[in-house]
Amino acid sequence: MSSNRFLCFNLEKEEFAIPLISVREVIGVPEVTPIPQSPSYLLGIMNLRGQVLTVMDLRLKLGIKNARTEETAVIILDLGDYHLGVMVDQVNSVVELNDSDVSEKPPVDSSKIAEAITGVFRKQDKLILMLDVYKSLSIEDRKSIKNEIKVA
Amino acid sequence: MDDFEKELKIGFLDEASQAISETEQCFLSLESNQNQVENINKIFRLAHNLKGSSKAVGFTQFGEFTHEFESLILKIKNNQLPVTPTIVSLLLEGNDFLMQMVSELKENLETQFQFSELLEKFKNPPSEQTQVPEVNNSEPILSQGEVEKVEDEKFQIPISEKTVKKATISAEENIRVSVLKLEKLVNFVGEMVILHSVIKEKAAESRSVALIKTIHELEKVGKEIQEISMGLRLVPIKPVFQKMNRIVRDTASALGKNVDLILQGEETELDKTILDKISDPLTHLVRNAVDHGVESPEKRIQVGKTEKANVYLRAFNRSGRLMIEVQDDGGGLNADFLVKKAVQKGILKENAQLSDKEAFNLIFAPGFSTKEVVTDVSGRGVGMDVVKTNILDLGGEVNITSNLGKGTMFQISLPLTLAIMDAMTVTYSNHKFVIPLSHVHETVPTKDYVIQKSQLMGDVLLLRGENIKLVRLGDLFGIKSTHHTDQMITMVIRTGPVPFAILVDDILSQGQVVVKAMSPDLMGIIGVSGSTILGDGKPALILEPADLLKRKVQNLYIPQNLTSEGTKAA
Repeated sequence: MSSNRFLCFNLEKEEFAIPLISVREVIGVPEVTPIPQSPSYLLGIMNLRGQVLTVMDLRLKLGIKNARTEETAVIILDLGDYHLGVMVDQVNSVVELNDSDVSEKPPVDSSKIAEAITGVFRKQDKLILMLDVYKSLSIEDRKSIKNEIKVA
Repeated sequence: MDDFEKELKIGFLDEASQAISETEQCFLSLESNQNQVENINKIFRLAHNLKGSSKAVGFTQFGEFTHEFESLILKIKNNQLPVTPTIVSLLLEGNDFLMQMVSELKENLETQFQFSELLEKFKNPPSEQTQVPEVNNSEPILSQGEVEKVEDEKFQIPISEKTVKKATISAEENIRVSVLKLEKLVNFVGEMVILHSVIKEKAAESRSVALIKTIHELEKVGKEIQEISMGLRLVPIKPVFQKMNRIVRDTASALGKNVDLILQGEETELDKTILDKISDPLTHLVRNAVDHGVESPEKRIQVGKTEKANVYLRAFNRSGRLMIEVQDDGGGLNADFLVKKAVQKGILKENAQLSDKEAFNLIFAPGFSTKEVVTDVSGRGVGMDVVKTNILDLGGEVNITSNLGKGTMFQISLPLTLAIMDAMTVTYSNHKFVIPLSHVHETVPTKDYVIQKSQLMGDVLLLRGENIKLVRLGDLFGIKSTHHTDQMITMVIRTGPVPFAILVDDILSQGQVVVKAMSPDLMGIIGVSGSTILGDGKPALILEPADLLKRKVQNLYIPQNLTSEGTKAA
């Protein structure tokens, strides 16, 4: 089933996975217009074929050091009523998982990432973290972003 | 129910709601001008069509109702029933019920209705006991079978031919398209124009005359396509205006007033989204004009006016904006009374000195209602402030002019469309911003004017007779700049609560931009109303100048040469 397919990507050395169903497309690093006085993870707005989208840096959002490389890409997420671009270090592959492949996350100290991790699974010898797009990003943050911009 | 049947039914409901709003207009005009054979024919035809097609798609109850409705109309058509206000009210009642059925069926195709009472009224219409019985004697009411026969013989054939002809024409002229599709089209056309400008540059390098010529042709075609696709969103204001006929009639009769509504400029076009949103505020203003604006018939005669009051509703274009005027020839607003009332309500401080215009604007204050008696139709104390907010939300303005004893006029000015706007693209350091042209009062070279630097008030521009607050655009957005004020351009903004001026490096271009919605993540940034895509394909923020001063000002000017600073201040 398509809902069991996940897109894996890297943020620095850590590998993450998000449901493929919420991914619209993956593009190279676009030109963005910065939003003055916005939080640093808010890279700005971009033009995707006539649509204006917000682009966020997922690394900065999750508190991971960012370094732009040739592999850096932007995943365009389909969040139902709108699209959002998130910048990641590297897009790897699509994996198909069964429920039995996924296990609970080991106890983690409360970091920004921890809350958004819904589980983990093993790909060969590597542990991949499953990321809740909504939690890690915009949806719950919409208000706080607004506030941050307003205060600025 | 299979899909095909469902589709048929939904199609019928769409068609029916159009027909019903059309018949409503006919009924209303029936009252003003009674012997309109053509009008009655039209009503009859519409009712007959409704009956036929409702039965065909399987809405039996709907068919039953329209059948009786049609019989009633037939009586009028055959002069067996005089057109009295009571009858018109009954017809309108029937029409309302049809509308109600349509909207309920739209929700649930299986809805069942109760209408025996109304049908009874149709069969035995309440008459004003005029000469109806006489007519009945000479020409007895037709039995059901005969009604069908009469239809078939007299009207069916010529009318249906006419209808078929009309239907095919309108099918050619109009196609329903979803707004979403239109938006996509506009997006892609915008992209095309941008890609075109890229190609144009490349072609100029190639020096191929044929290529350059073709691209020039393409540019013309592209512009044409862009204009047409933008215009697709524009629709005539007619449906909203026509709705007002009914509002005026109902409000006036509920209040025992005699009011004529005069419509002008019904064909004026505006954006569909604005049309949908202006309907409510306009209804309120019109209802208000009938309720609070015009006087009672007795009062009118007393002051030497005609018994019948007039309410005018006009639409027209003025300098790229849509103007709507709601005017009445009633008693006008009493500024002193409004002020007194506002003080009583605690909206205004005692001894406040207000100009007439300011006093008129009090009626837009929340919680302000002037009528002593709360009437059925308006005056619940809510509304006028909502009217104003609604209009402002659409990027519009509303103005009141009033002459005591002569009447009041509400003048609404709206943008023609929310999708495109005339704007200036300005630069500040390496940032680009878009400023709606409607907000820019004037632009002047800063060096031509004296700037007073005040410790307490910041920079003040001495613009002719005025002292205007001057801010560097970047200081509002945390952007550093090394440009000296003298090299910059001053833009005077007068749409906010106080006039002010902003300094920008340069004005890049002036023209139409396509307004794009802000992603939800960015909504609510103060001083920013949306985004757009510039000619180079890059997105930019559209500023909301009226709100700019609400942002915090931070001095981020870094003078390159300290001695040049302040020379102008002397």
